[in-house]
Amino acid sequence: MSLLVALNHVSIRYRSNQSGIFSIKDLITSWAHPFQTKEILKDITFTLHKGESLGIVGRNGSGKSTLLRAIAGIITPSKGHLKTYGSIAPILALGAGLEAELTGYENIHLLLSLYGRKISAQAIEEIVQFSELDHQTLSQATKCYSSGMLARLTFSISFSHHCDIIIIDEVLAVGDLGFQQKCLQKINDLKKEGRSIIFVSHFPEEVIKICDQAILLENGLLIHKGTSEEVCQHYKELF
Amino acid sequence: MQFLNQLYALSKRNIILRYKHSLIGFLWGFIKPLMYLLIFIVIFSAQFSSVKNYVLYATSGILFWFFFSNIVSQGIQSIIQAGGILKSVKLPALLFPLAEVTTELFNLALALLVYFIVMQWFGMVYTWQLLWLIPILIIFSVFSLGIALILASLNVYFRDIGILWNTLQPALFYLTPIAYTEDLIPPRFSFVVHANPIYAFIKLIRYPLYEAQAPNMQLFLHCTSISFFTFIISLFVYYRLKNQFITAI
Repeated sequence: MSLLVALNHVSIRYRSNQSGIFSIKDLITSWAHPFQTKEILKDITFTLHKGESLGIVGRNGSGKSTLLRAIAGIITPSKGHLKTYGSIAPILALGAGLEAELTGYENIHLLLSLYGRKISAQAIEEIVQFSELDHQTLSQATKCYSSGMLARLTFSISFSHHCDIIIIDEVLAVGDLGFQQKCLQKINDLKKEGRSIIFVSHFPEEVIKICDQAILLENGLLIHKGTSEEVCQHYKELF
Repeated sequence: MQFLNQLYALSKRNIILRYKHSLIGFLWGFIKPLMYLLIFIVIFSAQFSSVKNYVLYATSGILFWFFFSNIVSQGIQSIIQAGGILKSVKLPALLFPLAEVTTELFNLALALLVYFIVMQWFGMVYTWQLLWLIPILIIFSVFSLGIALILASLNVYFRDIGILWNTLQPALFYLTPIAYTEDLIPPRFSFVVHANPIYAFIKLIRYPLYEAQAPNMQLFLHCTSISFFTFIISLFVYYRLKNQFITAI
C-alpha cells in the first residue's frame, strides 16, 4: 500500500497577542511582548496509506482543524516534516469558501475555478444532481440557504472531483437524514474505489462507521492512536 | 494557466458582487468620477481659464486617480475578506489583491471607452500616441498592485492600516494636481508634488491622453523604476508575512 500522508514530529505554532485583536494600540501598550507564541500542535506523528480512512476526534480547540489545514497544505508546520503524496480535495467544511451574495450556480463556477478544475456542463450537472437542490434554490443567493442546504452544496462541489485524499471537517451533522445517508453511501463508495478519507467529527458512532483508524487530540498532543473503536472509547472517557 | 483561471473567476466574482442588487449597475462606476468632475468645473474652470481644455485635463486625472484609489481601498481588505476561502483551499493570498487590479482594469476600460467618445467635444485629439496608454497602464497597475499588496499584508495583522488609508486618501487626493495645475502649489511646497509618485504617473498619462504627445522618456523611465521598486518591496513584505496569514485573519 502506498503512502499518502506522513507526519513526522510535526509542530505548529503561531504568534498571537492576548486580546486577539491586532492594532497599534495593543502593540504600544504591550510593547515588550506584542506577540505570544502559541503552540497549536505538538509533535504529531502518524501516517496514512492509500485506501485507509482516518478519524480525528478531540475537544473543541484541540487542534483538529489546524491539523487538517496542515495536511491540505494551507499551513506550513513550524517544526517537523509533513509529506503528502497524491491529490488532496479542498477541506470540506460548512460553507467553506462560499460567497454569501452569489447564487448557488455562481458559487459552483467560482469554487470549481478556484479548486483548479475544468468547468463543463456535465460537471455542473453532476453537482446539481448530487445536491438535490432545485433550479430555483440554486438561482438564489447562498445567504438565503439553510445550513443543511449549504452543506449539500459544499459537499456536492467537493465530491465532484476525483482526489486521492478527501478531508471532511464536521459537516455531516447538519444535513437531513436522507442526505446524511447519501453522503455516508458516497463516502463508502469512495473508500471502495481506494480513496482515503480524513474525517473529523464529534460523533463517535460516525467515526466508527466511516473510519478504520483514528487519532485523539488533546491540547495539541496526539494522545491515542489506534482502531477507531479504541480511540472513540478513550474520547468518550474524556468527558 | 490554473492561476489565470483562478484570477479570471475572482475578477468575475468582484464585478458581479460590486453591482449586484443595484438598479443602475455599472453606471455607478461613471457617476463617482462624473460628480467630482462637475464639482471641479464649478469651482475651478474660471480659475483655470488659461488651461486649455480644462475638462479634458481634469477628467484624465480623475479617472486614473480612481483607478489607483479603488485598487488600494479594495485591495487592502481583499485578503481579510478571503479568509473563508483561504482557510479551506490552498491558494496564494496574492491572487486577491491581484484580482482587484484586473477588476479595476475592466472598469477603467469601460470608462475610457466613454471618455474617448465624450471627449471629442472637449478638444481631445486622436493620435497613435494614445497607444502609449498600454505600457503606461501596465506600469501603473504594477505600482498600484505593489501598494495594495504591502498594505493588504500589513492589514491582516494591524487593522489600523485600512483605517489609516481611509484617512489619508482624501489628503493624498488633494495633494495631487488632478483638478488644479502644478503651478498652483507655492514654490516652497513644491517638493510635496515632486515627491508624490501618483502625480508622476498622472503626469505621464496626460502626455498621450491630454497633450496628444509621446511621453517624456525620462519621466517614463522614472515611473517604470518607481513601479518595479514598489513591486519588489511588496513581494518582500508579502513573502515575509504570508505564512501567518491563516492564523491571523
